[in-house]
Amino acid sequence: MTVLPDLLAGLEFSTLPQQLVNGILLGAIYALIALGYTMVYGVLKLINFAHGEVFMLGAYTALFTSWSFGFTQAGSRQDSSPGILIAMLIVSMTVCGFVGVLIERFAYRPMRSQPRIASLITAIGISLLLQYGGQLFLPSSPPPSISDKVNPFKGNIEIPLKPADSALLAQAEQLKAKVTSTKAAYDEQLKSEKDSFNLSPVGKGLRTASQDAERDYRNAIDKANKDALVITLPQGQVIMLVTTVVLMIILTWLVMKTTAGRAMRAASLDFDAASLMGINVNTVIAFTFFIGSALAGAGAMMNASFLGGTKIDTFFGMLPGVKAFVAAVLGGIGNIPGAVLGGILMGLAETMVIWAGYGNYKDAIAFIVLIVVLLVKPGGLLGSNKVEKV
Amino acid sequence: MKFWGVRLASILGAVAFCFLLEGVAQGQSSFVQRLFVLAGLYVTLAVSLNLINGITGQFSIGHAAFYQVGAYTAGFCASRFFAQLNLPPAAWLLLMMITSAITAGLAGLLVGLPSLRLKGDYLAIVTLGFGEIIRIFAQNQEALGGAYGLTVAPKIQYVWAAWLLAILCIAVCRNLLRTAHGLPFLAVREDEIASSAMGVNVTQTKVVAFVLGSMFAGAAGAILAHFESFVSPPMFTMDVSFTIVTMVVLGGTGSITGSVLAAILLFYLPEKMRDFTNIPLSGVAAAFVAISAAVFAIRWVMQNFHGSAKDRAIRYLGIVVGALVIWFISKALLGNVPSLKENIDGSKLRMVVFSITLVVLMLLRPQGMLGHHEFSWDWVRSKFGKPTVKEATA
Repeated sequence: MTVLPDLLAGLEFSTLPQQLVNGILLGAIYALIALGYTMVYGVLKLINFAHGEVFMLGAYTALFTSWSFGFTQAGSRQDSSPGILIAMLIVSMTVCGFVGVLIERFAYRPMRSQPRIASLITAIGISLLLQYGGQLFLPSSPPPSISDKVNPFKGNIEIPLKPADSALLAQAEQLKAKVTSTKAAYDEQLKSEKDSFNLSPVGKGLRTASQDAERDYRNAIDKANKDALVITLPQGQVIMLVTTVVLMIILTWLVMKTTAGRAMRAASLDFDAASLMGINVNTVIAFTFFIGSALAGAGAMMNASFLGGTKIDTFFGMLPGVKAFVAAVLGGIGNIPGAVLGGILMGLAETMVIWAGYGNYKDAIAFIVLIVVLLVKPGGLLGSNKVEKV
Repeated sequence: MKFWGVRLASILGAVAFCFLLEGVAQGQSSFVQRLFVLAGLYVTLAVSLNLINGITGQFSIGHAAFYQVGAYTAGFCASRFFAQLNLPPAAWLLLMMITSAITAGLAGLLVGLPSLRLKGDYLAIVTLGFGEIIRIFAQNQEALGGAYGLTVAPKIQYVWAAWLLAILCIAVCRNLLRTAHGLPFLAVREDEIASSAMGVNVTQTKVVAFVLGSMFAGAAGAILAHFESFVSPPMFTMDVSFTIVTMVVLGGTGSITGSVLAAILLFYLPEKMRDFTNIPLSGVAAAFVAISAAVFAIRWVMQNFHGSAKDRAIRYLGIVVGALVIWFISKALLGNVPSLKENIDGSKLRMVVFSITLVVLMLLRPQGMLGHHEFSWDWVRSKFGKPTVKEATA
């Protein structure tokens, strides 16, 4: 059994904190999509296969909105402002919300009296239709991406976890004086040289000395920084995380404190009883689809604008959709806090696989997690394990 | 005596049919031969998936995985053992079909044992997931050619092999349903809890169906590998799985005849569409509009009209005419939109047609073309005004 030590030896623990943070950022997007799956499942007991495609349409909406503000591929506009980002977010959320409602109205509602497998086939059909039909009408080759100029928050936030070794750093600083002095001597010599490409022996010696000093200095600095741990966070991604948290707080308020939210919870608990109590379940379902799809739209807009010029094509939503679905199952499908927890765990799982050097398998991990969860704890982490009775 | 006579005649008829197809295909171009073989393979795939989805009622959408396992098994063995064994091509192909069926069956057992505890949509997602895992695994194995794929050494292009397998698959499924061994499959589909109360071993039944379906898919994979003399991961994506599912759903989940017809239809249609190279995008968009309008109008008639069958048919005809009118008008209107002025290739419409088929079918006829019905000679007899066997004996 030499596999485990070999595996451990191959791991680079100094990059782990950074990868964990990346995982949480990625997980936030998965959580936003997973909320849509979990809410729809909670009310209708239907896996909305087309949810990933709503996410894809959200990314396209954000792209078109950014184009309408002048951030085209030609790049005519340079300056951006938070207002433009907010506009993109709102337009994406609204368009996705209405797309979700339309899909529900025309594809899922007629299927409600049919067996569940018929709804599932319809959902697969809608998903394929949006992927391949969209390919005909939406720009997809070459895949466009939202210009990175749209993001005005370019800087990085650096969080030092462990400072560099101060003694080694001081030694390096001492070497710096030598670098300056040799460089100055070399520059001085260069002025008296006739041909800067064909130096005299004195000039060559000074150049070598200057280069050696420079190299020693770099080595010393690297040695000092070797143990330092710094987490780099692009500002845009921090804003993304904050927005996600804000949206989740709004969602919690909506579900727990408003009348519409109470109706949603009632329909989720018992569909028929809720309708007998005078709740218009069709409106509740449409509302659920609107909220879930709008969250996917928000996730898509932030994914496409902040996670580094992601290429957008009509299959953009497929893998995030599957991973978010797994996240929803992992957290306990139908359970809202579970979706958030599952999303973050999925993000972490994915970055951990990449970190461990199995980047090729990063898309397979979602399915492996899904299979393990369904076999070990089918109710999910926060869900209940119900047994179907006769 | 009559029983064995019918059996023998059927077997001889099937073999004769296969070699007739071979004879027809021999004179044709390699493109037509390819169509013949692939149609046979798709019939096998659709019927074998129907055994799992339609007859046993376990909705699996990862059938391409077992097709892939079979194809890779054949490819892997061909590169290592073909030269040593020195077998004639037909015998080698037969050996590979059996080997691939066994490995695909083992893969089916591996996938089925844990995942068949799940139901409905969860099972669907897990089978989809296994399909992707198997594909990604093959893509990252150097021994299996990685992302480039494997070259399969002897190119064996027998039309009869594909169709013999298809007929074998149909015969096995049909005979299974006609015997006591097949009844548990149907019982599990109708009601798991009731059938387990009646003494049916539900898990065993599901796993047997799953393994049997996978074995046929694996054997089909072996034929594909030797026909194309090349296998690579992109040949077995989710699209292939969804294509097979569409065939089963269109034919009618549970109807073997339906699966065969739908497989041939859905395989041939996209190939035919490749001939149309300049389809205006505005026409496609107009077709979306017209089809959706027609579908909801037909649904409305189905639910709200209670007149005679003739009046109903007249209304359907009216809707079809209306849809055509809508198509013409919206095509003319949409033709002015600048972004819809492009022309596209018919080959791009393949998956679009499949997805629309799925959705329209679910909205109008969820049981599929044939529902649970099967082709039978009785039915043919009754069409010619002769009494069916049941009526004659009664």
